[in-house]
Amino acid sequence: MKRSDRITAVVILAAVVLVVVFWIVMHHTPGTLAVVHVDGKVVATVDLTSHEVQTLHITGVLGPLVIVADGKGSIRVAKATCPDQICVHTIPARSPGDQVICVPNHMVITVEGKGTGIDAIAQ
Amino acid sequence: MRKAIAPIVALIVAGAGLATFFALRASPEPVTSTYFLMDTVLTVKTTGGDAATINEHLHALASDVDSMTSYYKAEAETVRVNAAAGKGPVSVSPEYAGLVKAAVAIEAIDHGRTFDIAISPVSSLWGFTTKDFRVPAAKEISDTLAYSHSDQLVISGTTVQLRDHRARIDLGGIAKGYSLDVMEEYLHTIKPQPRQVIVDFGGNLLLYSGGRKHDWKIGIRDPRGQGIIGYVQSGDAFVATSGDYERYFERDGKRYCHIIDPSTGYPGTLNQSATVITDIQPMHGAIGDALGKVFFCSPAETQRSLFQTIQGQGIVGIVLVDAAGTESTLGPISFVPTAAQ
Repeated sequence: MKRSDRITAVVILAAVVLVVVFWIVMHHTPGTLAVVHVDGKVVATVDLTSHEVQTLHITGVLGPLVIVADGKGSIRVAKATCPDQICVHTIPARSPGDQVICVPNHMVITVEGKGTGIDAIAQ
Repeated sequence: MRKAIAPIVALIVAGAGLATFFALRASPEPVTSTYFLMDTVLTVKTTGGDAATINEHLHALASDVDSMTSYYKAEAETVRVNAAAGKGPVSVSPEYAGLVKAAVAIEAIDHGRTFDIAISPVSSLWGFTTKDFRVPAAKEISDTLAYSHSDQLVISGTTVQLRDHRARIDLGGIAKGYSLDVMEEYLHTIKPQPRQVIVDFGGNLLLYSGGRKHDWKIGIRDPRGQGIIGYVQSGDAFVATSGDYERYFERDGKRYCHIIDPSTGYPGTLNQSATVITDIQPMHGAIGDALGKVFFCSPAETQRSLFQTIQGQGIVGIVLVDAAGTESTLGPISFVPTAAQ
């Protein structure tokens, strides 16, 4: 093989790698991810595909919140100091679009995931 | 050898370049903003146009409706009307009078049996206004129910009066839907138009594509489990859901939801959720919101006959989940269950 052929091979390889990387980036289907917001700002992200139980201590507008991802794909508010406890009673979030909301704490957990094609959820 | 490879390399590089170009050129990224008001979350997702400014303005409009209709805020017209209960007529803004009239018109479709803005003294008994929940005695409920009906309400032009000094009105059952009306009215006037706006106000939706005839897929939340039970498709619309699964309290293993059935004074138990989809017309956000309560508090037979009476008045369709968890639809919409996807 000539030196110039080797260069050509490297160029092709680079081009192929470029295309593959591009393809992956554009068609990246993230594992299901939970994003925790307080007052509209992201304060934590949790990988729901992890098999480990993850406990998060975050600070809401009203006070502390304990958020638990159960290692089986669900995430919930385990403890909160809000008066109505709606967030604690909410069914754990699991599917893309699921939310757990604590209004007094201005806290929202939203599950993101690969496209379901659903634009919005009526609830 | 080299000559054969060169064009392929060129092709691959050009292909990658083109693909990158089109990917970057594709639709603008949506801007999502979250706000907290009316004891719930307002999420606005705008694509195209001056998205961040649009989101801020939509929030300001919802805030204005809150300031007008709130049950608690000192400046609210509702608070003024309630404070003057039993004393005399209160002068209100034309906008407020119009909203009260729209609410009363929905009550009239089944004589206030399933939706009544004057039920709030009974809701207060259950603790839904203070969040100090309790199960009242039957006698307390029947005594309070006696003056918790819209027949206490006298509307004349732009004055509103409550006859009994204990009577109260609460527009909480219509204010979120009405906010969506006000938002939609504003969205129409924007130039340049955004491509898409999705407003989620405590689960009540405004789906707006400004006449682009976008076909929206609207998920219906599972009232008892995770995720959605399925979806329906619609063009631009208002979507209002009344359900027993978000605001409720439990005593002795029994669930008491925040939607009080005005005919009994007890929380509604006939359905788990009712989702009403209305087309984009003035006041259809508010009407859909109120109709959600009407259908939530109605048994299956009545739901069908009620639907027949309001058919053709901008109702795209209704998705119902009854107390047993069985779903059904009214109107020309098809529900695609999650299992069938």
